[in-house]
Amino acid sequence: MMSVEIAAAPVGVKASSPGSRTKKKILGLIAGGVIAVLVSALVWLMAVAMPSKTDGPFTFLENICVWLYDTPVSVGIRESALLFPAIEGIHLLGIGLSVGMLCWFDLRLLGLAMKDEPVSKVWSRVMPAAFTGFVLMFITGGLLFWAEAATAYHSVHFWIKIGLIVLAGVNAGYFEMTTHKHVAEWDTAPVLPVRARMAGLFSLLLWTAVIITGRTMAYSF
Amino acid sequence: MPSLLPLFQWANNLPIADWVRNSTWIFPAAETVHIVALAVLFGAILFVDLQLLGFVRRDTSVSHLEKELRPWTFSSLIVILVTGALLFSSEAMKLYISAPFQIKIVMLFLAIAFNYTIHRKVIGTETVRLGPAWGKVTAVVSIALWLSVGLAGRAIGFF
Repeated sequence: MMSVEIAAAPVGVKASSPGSRTKKKILGLIAGGVIAVLVSALVWLMAVAMPSKTDGPFTFLENICVWLYDTPVSVGIRESALLFPAIEGIHLLGIGLSVGMLCWFDLRLLGLAMKDEPVSKVWSRVMPAAFTGFVLMFITGGLLFWAEAATAYHSVHFWIKIGLIVLAGVNAGYFEMTTHKHVAEWDTAPVLPVRARMAGLFSLLLWTAVIITGRTMAYSF
Repeated sequence: MPSLLPLFQWANNLPIADWVRNSTWIFPAAETVHIVALAVLFGAILFVDLQLLGFVRRDTSVSHLEKELRPWTFSSLIVILVTGALLFSSEAMKLYISAPFQIKIVMLFLAIAFNYTIHRKVIGTETVRLGPAWGKVTAVVSIALWLSVGLAGRAIGFF
């Protein structure tokens, strides 16, 4: 897939030479194009080929969602002319701060960006902002769910999104507890261990997919 | 000032606009790509600006970081503009009367112009010669411009 073809190219390219910058730009555009095609295919699959409504077997959860949906806060957010757009606006911009920042660490793990910087350095620069972004995302996301709990319960896209977030969390947790502990051994290695590269790739793919399902969810509500 | 209406009508009547309108999935797909690219663009801009503001430990020069991220900023901007044009043409007439859209486009031009002129210039100049305050002002202006583009963009769907 896309990762393979673009991962192979920048190896050995010196960041400083002027010719490589055009090369990088072209590679960036190709990567953008490939991602665009992949995203389109995924959205098409989710919008057309897949049912968007579900009758989940979890009556217990459904009852909680319906109860949440009827609370004054939920009604207030849902019916407010400004509150819902404002929260959703912050949620959207939070993507830039959370996934937008985290993606540089993932790209560093894959060896696609900032190859001449040690991994730990990129980590310490990206993480404070990304962490803030994720906190912001979870708070605003929680409020949006609160406002639309009963609708979200019946949305297939919502469940896929939650599943993907859990997977992304597991991926990050596993990386933190095993591979990242030995960061000193491969901090400046020209090619990072497969486990580190895989963690970066999965993180990138999963968070992209989370954004996609977040968007398709809104179309199937 | 001449009216921009003919431009909007022209975009609205493009074959590609019909193509987007007549499909159930092209609009959501284009919008999703638009937002994924937004994450990359905002992330790259914030990465540099947060360094300028001193929120993140500054152990490498900001100009080096900015140069490193340039291809990503550029290509994500291209992806955003292409998908944005696609979305625009499909509902150009609706957008002609949309206030958030007008704000968004003005802010977008300002943001792009600012990014490729003052922003880049300030980052390229050594802090010794400029003083750290200017870097911080630039970062705040940059973040404010891009945030207003994003917020106005989201507001199009609501107002």
